[in-house]
Amino acid sequence: MRCPAIPGTRLLFTLLVVGLGLIGLSACKPPPTPDNEQIARGRDLFFNETFDGNGRTCGSCHPASNNFTIDPAFIATLPADDPLFVAELNPDLQHNFENPVLMREIGLILENLDGFDDLANIFNMRGVPHTLGLRHSIESRAGPRTGWSGDGSPGDGSLRSFAVGAVIQHFTRTLGRVPGVDFRLPADEELDAMEAFQFSLGRQEEFTLPLPLKGKVAARGQEIFNDRTLGKCSACHFNAGANGDPGIFGQDAGNLNFNTGVEVLPDQPADLTGELMPPDDGFGAPGNGEFNTPSLVEAADTGPFFHNNAVETIEGAVGFYDGESFNNSPAGQLLAGATGSGVELDATQIVAVAAFLRVINALENIRQSIELLDSFVNRKFLGNEAFDQLLARAAQETDDSIGVLAAGGLHPVAVAHLREARRLTREAMASRFSSERLAREALGEQERARAELMES
Amino acid sequence: MLKYPTAMGVTLALLAGLSLAHAQKATERFIPIGKSPGLSDKYTKIGTIDAVNTQDRTITMSAPSGTYTARIAEETRIWLDKSKINSTNEEGTFSDLQAGRMVEVKYKDNDPEGPAEWIKVQIAE
Repeated sequence: MRCPAIPGTRLLFTLLVVGLGLIGLSACKPPPTPDNEQIARGRDLFFNETFDGNGRTCGSCHPASNNFTIDPAFIATLPADDPLFVAELNPDLQHNFENPVLMREIGLILENLDGFDDLANIFNMRGVPHTLGLRHSIESRAGPRTGWSGDGSPGDGSLRSFAVGAVIQHFTRTLGRVPGVDFRLPADEELDAMEAFQFSLGRQEEFTLPLPLKGKVAARGQEIFNDRTLGKCSACHFNAGANGDPGIFGQDAGNLNFNTGVEVLPDQPADLTGELMPPDDGFGAPGNGEFNTPSLVEAADTGPFFHNNAVETIEGAVGFYDGESFNNSPAGQLLAGATGSGVELDATQIVAVAAFLRVINALENIRQSIELLDSFVNRKFLGNEAFDQLLARAAQETDDSIGVLAAGGLHPVAVAHLREARRLTREAMASRFSSERLAREALGEQERARAELMES
Repeated sequence: MLKYPTAMGVTLALLAGLSLAHAQKATERFIPIGKSPGLSDKYTKIGTIDAVNTQDRTITMSAPSGTYTARIAEETRIWLDKSKINSTNEEGTFSDLQAGRMVEVKYKDNDPEGPAEWIKVQIAE
C-alpha cells in the first residue's frame, strides 16, 4: 500500500508540507495484514514484555541493533542500569545467576542446562546466538534444534516453547523461580506471536552456491568451502547455512549436532579470566559433547564464535578447523575417516574462506538494507520492524556490511558505495521533507555496492 | 577403500548427528502441571493417582480420557509442582507418588507402553 499521491498545486503542496510537519509520516503507515499483525505483536512482546520478571526482555540479549545478539563491545555501550546487568543490581540475583566478569569481558550468559541443584558449581557459560534465519536453521530429522546444543527449549523442544525456558532461566526475580511470583509464563497466543516474529527475522531463503562472486579471493574461498577434498565445509554447512549436505546426509537431514572439539581448545579467553568455567557437555543432560551447526551466512558480523565465544574473528573461526582440537575431535575423526584426511588449510586458504564468509554476510546485510529502505520508500509494513525504525535499521545493517568488508580489506569500491548509502540513510533519518528521495538514493548506492560484489 | 563422497555419504550419514532432538528438562521442572508448551494435554496425561505399585514401580492414574499406567524407570525424573502454594518446584522421588495426588506424565518417546520420561506431582498444601 502506498501513501496518497501528492497533489500538484502549490497551495495543496504547502498545506500538505505543513500537515506532514505536524503529524509526521506516521499517518502514512499502512494497515498491517493479519500475518504481519501477529509478527508485530511478537515484536512488541520480544522487545517490551518482561513477563513480570526482573526487567529483562528477550531483546535484552537479542537486540535488533546488534544483529539480535550481544558481544562485549555492545555490552560496553549499555547503561549501568540496563536489565542485562540485573545480577549486579538485584541482591536476590547477586550469586549464581550470572557471572558479571564473563558477561562483560567475554559476552557469556549463565545457563543451568544440567539442572538447578548445584547452582554454584554446575552451570554453563554460553554466548548468545543470534535469531536470524531461523526458518532455515533449526529443523532436523529428529525435530527442532534450538539454542547452542539443540536442546534449548522445554516442552516440545520447539522455537515456540523456547521463550518459556528463557523466562524461567533469565527473567526470574529470585532463584526460587516460582511461576506467578518470580515471573509469569507466556500465554499460548504470546508464544505464537513471538515464534512468528522470530521466524520473520533475517533470511527467508537459503543461498544457492556457488554465487557468481567478483572478488578473486572470496571466489577462491567459495571454491575451497565447497571442495569436498579441501575445505569440506559444505558437508555440514550446505549453501553456507546450518544444514547438512542432502547429498551426504539425505534430503531431510536439516540441522545436525557434532562434537567438534571446541571445548578442548587451549587458552580460551573465558578460561584466561580465571573465573570458574565448568566444561560444557553440550546436548542432553548429562551431555554428549555435541553442539548444533550454526548458519554461516550471518556469521561474520555476529561473533565472537562458537558456543563459548572462544574465538573473536571469522578468520580464527575458519582456522579452528585446521587445528588439532577439531581434527582430533569426534567430528574431525569422522571426517578424516570418511575422506582419508583431516582439514588442512594454509593461511591464504583460511583467509580466502573467511573472505567468502565476509562477502556473503555483506550480501545479506545489503539485502536487508534494501528491504528496509524499500519498505520505507513504498510505505510497506514489514511487521518485524517498526515503521519509524526502518531507516535506523537500514543504517545499522549498512554499518555491518561496511564493517565486515573493510575489516577483511575487501571490495573498497563497494565499501565506498555503502558509506555513501549510510550517509544518505542518516540524512533521510534527519530530513523532514526529503527523506523519501534520500532513501531512494541510498537504495541506488546499495544496489551499486551489491553489483561490485557479485554478477547480477 | 571407499572414497569420498561415497564413504562420506555412508559413514557420516550413519554416525553424525545421531542425537535425537529433545526438550531440555532443566527448566521443564519449573513449569506447572498442564502448562508445558506443546506437550500438556497433547502428549502428556494429566490425572489423579489411583494406586501405586511399589514392586513394579508403576502408578495407575485416572485422567478425563481414561485410566493409564506409568512405569517409573531409573531415568524417570519426578518433580514436585509446588506452584499452587507459591513455592519452588523441587526434585521428587518415587515416594512422592501417592494416591490422590494430581500428576502429569510425559512418556518416553510419547509411548504409553514405555517408561515415563518425567512426572510432575502437584503438592497443594
